Order: sequence, then structure tokens, then C-alpha cells
Amino acid sequence: MPDDSRYSRQILLPDIGPRGQEMLGKSCVLIAGAGGLGSASALYLAAAGVGRIIVVDDDCVELSNLNRQIIHSEASLGQPKALSAANRLAGLNSKIQVRPIPERITHENIDSLLTEGVDIMVDASDNYETRQVLNRASLRHGMAWVYGGVHGFDGMASVFLPGRTPCFECIFPHPPAAPPGKEVVGPAAGITASVQAMETIKLLLGIGESLANRLLRVSGLDMRVHILDLSPNPDCRVCRSASTKP
Amino acid sequence: MNIQLNGMKETIPDGLTIKGLMEWDKEADPDLIVEQNGKYIYAKDYDTQMVMENDVIEFINPNLGG
Repeated sequence: MPDDSRYSRQILLPDIGPRGQEMLGKSCVLIAGAGGLGSASALYLAAAGVGRIIVVDDDCVELSNLNRQIIHSEASLGQPKALSAANRLAGLNSKIQVRPIPERITHENIDSLLTEGVDIMVDASDNYETRQVLNRASLRHGMAWVYGGVHGFDGMASVFLPGRTPCFECIFPHPPAAPPGKEVVGPAAGITASVQAMETIKLLLGIGESLANRLLRVSGLDMRVHILDLSPNPDCRVCRSASTKP
Repeated sequence: MNIQLNGMKETIPDGLTIKGLMEWDKEADPDLIVEQNGKYIYAKDYDTQMVMENDVIEFINPNLGG
């Protein structure tokens, strides 16, 4: 099948068109995690033709992952998630470059991960600390990132743009008193990650109105979708300070 | 005074701040974020931000799983 048919349905959109498709092909996205959120966002971004995708995750695939981590399969049980995800993405779209990095994202390695021409980071982590790493790296590098989080039937998403929006730690200023609960239904991750993928495509192309300065909340059990307006926190110790060191 | 709190109609005492509303609701979760009429309220403002008639307020648990 010729390449030009792969993206034909989205090239038909005036906001994308051939030029937008070319822009996607020249883009690079770092996906921070290959779990429930990373599964869906990576698949959609690969399918959309984002030219380079870096998948970072230090976990291995477990059976308990498969209710939501749809990029993996029974055949990949025990494999590093980054490698399993990369294999699946390569099977979906052989025309893009996928780089698996089976490491945990830390304050120590994030800067080197971002030296490869990354345009946007997609948060697909499952903890506060990794998001803190992404947030501070975002501020240091002036790089947009797309937050997503899930719990139970619910999800949240937002876009953080350094200097133009509050930062993650303006909104969530401290780690939770207890680790996030592990209970989650698969579609909550799918809905949230789909929103993240949509926001990423919009940001890469400079189209539409992003979730910058807004926090999207989806309550799956009663299917309420709600948007909360965010404003900068003048007292934020992270983005309002001169230093954005870890 | 009538408000909507977490999607439910509630009658609350007049003159409450956000902090007062949290105490009235016996809400002690330190991780909650607060939405008042579609806007995020910073924790530093809980003591001074007044709850008004017909306000729509949500106490929200951050979603941090992935």
C-alpha cells in the first residue's frame, strides 16, 4: 500500500493537510512510561505518523497490566515494557523511528534523554516523582509537556507550557500523602491517553486550542467531562523561582 | 446558604471560607484540590476565599496513576 494512503484520512483535514503531515513526520515525542497511558498515546502518535518516538519505562510486562496496557500482549509478558512497546509500534508503523529506553526517568538522566531533539514530553507515568522530574525539565528546557493521570474510572489531563501556564507543581505542589491507588479500569486510561495524544498532535502542529491553563477531568462512572480553569500561582516555589534545578 | 458541593445540593452556614467549608464537610484529605465555579483555588487562599450563595464547589482528588 503506498505511503500516501496511510495518513490520507487526517491529511484531508484542513488543519493538518500535507504540510501538517510533514511536520508530524519531522517531530519527536518522548513518552514517559509504557503503561496504561503510554500504551494508548504511543499507539495513536505512531499511527498519526509522529516521526520519532522515544519510549522510556523501566518496568517489565506483568499479567496485571493487560487490562489497560493495550500496547502489550500475553506474548510480551516478562519483557521490558519499553521494548515490548517499541516492537508493537514498529509493527503498527514501520515508517517511523521508535527508540525504547528501558530506564526509569530521573532528575539525573532526563536532560540527556531530551538532547535528541525532543519536541514534547507526554506524561505516562504512574507517580508524582516522575512528573516532578518532567515538570522541572520542562521548565529548564522551555519544553511543553502533556500531563495525564488516572485513577479508578476517572482521568485528568492538562498541558503545561513553561512561562505561559502554571506549572505542574503550581497545581499539585506536594507529593500525595499516600501512593496513588492501583485500581483502574482500562478505558479510563484510554480516554485520558487519547486526550493526551490529541493535545500532542495539536501542539506539534500549532493548531486548535490546547488544554493550556485548563485541567480536563473525566469522571467515567457518571461520564461527566469538566474543565477547570487554571491560573498561575505567584507563590510557586518551582516555576516562580530563578532556579529550576531538581 | 445553598451551594452545590461535589455535585450535590447542600445547605451550609453563611460566612464560610473554603477552609471553613472543608471543616464543615469533615474533609481532611491534604491532597485535595479545590474548584470553585470552574476555577482552581490555591491552598494559600483557602483561609480567605469566601463561599457564596449558589457556588459550585468540588473537592477533587488528583489522579496520579498511569
